[in-house]
Amino acid sequence: MIVFEHVGKRYGGRFEALANLDFRVRRGEMVFLTGHSGAGKSSLLRLVMRLERPSRGRILVAGHDIDRLHPSQVPFYRRQIGVVFQDHQLLHDRSIFHNVALPLEIQGVEPRESARRVRAALDKVGLLHRERALPIELSGGEQQRVGIARAVVNKPSLLLADEPTGNLDPQLSADIMALFEDFNRIGTTVMVASHDLALIARLRHRILRLRDGRLVADQEAA
Amino acid sequence: MSRRHAPPPRGARTHRTRSSSRLRGWLRHHRAMALDSAWRLLKAPIGSLVTMLAIAIALVLPAALWLTLDGARLLDTELTDSATLTAYLQHHVDDGQLARIEEAMTANEGVRRTRLITAEEGMEEFQQALGLADALGRLEENPLPSSVVVTPADPSPEAVRGLAAELEAMSGVDEVRLDLAWIERLRHLAELGRRVALALAVLFGGGVLLVVGNTIRLAVENRRKEIEVVTLIGATHAFVRRPFLYSGAWYGLGGGLLAWGLLTLGSEWLAAPVAALAASYGASFSLPSLGASGSATLVGCSILLGWLGAWIAVSRHLAEVKPR
Repeated sequence: MIVFEHVGKRYGGRFEALANLDFRVRRGEMVFLTGHSGAGKSSLLRLVMRLERPSRGRILVAGHDIDRLHPSQVPFYRRQIGVVFQDHQLLHDRSIFHNVALPLEIQGVEPRESARRVRAALDKVGLLHRERALPIELSGGEQQRVGIARAVVNKPSLLLADEPTGNLDPQLSADIMALFEDFNRIGTTVMVASHDLALIARLRHRILRLRDGRLVADQEAA
Repeated sequence: MSRRHAPPPRGARTHRTRSSSRLRGWLRHHRAMALDSAWRLLKAPIGSLVTMLAIAIALVLPAALWLTLDGARLLDTELTDSATLTAYLQHHVDDGQLARIEEAMTANEGVRRTRLITAEEGMEEFQQALGLADALGRLEENPLPSSVVVTPADPSPEAVRGLAAELEAMSGVDEVRLDLAWIERLRHLAELGRRVALALAVLFGGGVLLVVGNTIRLAVENRRKEIEVVTLIGATHAFVRRPFLYSGAWYGLGGGLLAWGLLTLGSEWLAAPVAALAASYGASFSLPSLGASGSATLVGCSILLGWLGAWIAVSRHLAEVKPR
């Protein structure tokens, strides 16, 4: 699903954020990406989302070299990927329902169909009863679940998450990870960046470990 | 507003991504954004009004100048129509020759109409104009020649000069007089005015772009987060631009209508003194009004400028957030 071939990323010509990354993630796999902050986890995810382009090497996603995408194709590429952010990236001036509906609104999905899918996604994360609330009225854990609902509402084949449990207590973090496992079970390829080593060790999925922009360990699922 | 209302009712339907449904989605988004951006403008009425007024003021000056020139052009046509040549005939020409000469002139393609003034008629006019009936009446012989006043078909200076040469070459014609200098001066003045109006229109049009551009830039700044999020989840540039383009168009519409109102008020206000001034010169000149097509052009240009200003502002922002 994701292939990195000798990928490097430099910023401003000097700082090397990522160096010589070489790995592949199979379709339907669940992978944790770990390492200290600054190790390059976010940079790696930003490359996959094509928010940035590699300085060297090649990245293939679903068989396509994403660096070759024409700028006008990039939005359509991103629609195939669900992304969960550490800081949720919810819009505070609209309801939970309309936050989750945003990807569908962008794609011009018909309102009835959109409403059905939004409610299915909210139901999945257990927040169907809060659809009329504004993000500010929800707890941190709930906001993160809204973020997840928005990421999966479009049934993406690839789900990326950048520190999704960053500010949550252990129980809530475990719940969030369990959600990702659920999506993985129905065939979604999932890649989660997290520095919560204790938690991800318990989950027994493949772990890619980064240090100073290099891949230092690739630990297969137990 | 459109997005904060209650969610639509529940209902299941099969998932379709056919092009007709995509087109419907696109139209739906246009409608939603048009309403949403209008609502945002109405929510900040003072700010919106100030922007629209700035646009209106920038549009009024070139539009007013253009109107004035339009009026001057009407006046110019009238004056040009009255541009005539006077062909003075030789003294020995008798009445029969006179008629033939006038006939020949009328037959000329460059001549629209002729008016014959016999020596006697000329004398009468002269006496009346000068009030010197007694003095002139003492002359033994009428010193004035007969003349033909010729209105040219083509009033352009070149054509008139050509016609004058032709007429002068006719037998029996002594001299042809024409006074084009003042008409040419008027034309130069009108041309100067047109260029000034064009330059002003370009300058003030640029001003409208800046006003709208700056307003939209602030709106983009306020919604930076929203733009970031929708871009992350696959919004196209067109999708991001759309609400701002509608805002720009609404500002343009408001500004254009205000400019129209200001112009209408202004010409009402000036109408009386202009008419009085014209009357004192014995002319009937009134300020021309915009009319339907003029009004449509004004408002249309205003909308277009608003739209363009917004486009520039959003595009600059989008260029900034391009992936490296």
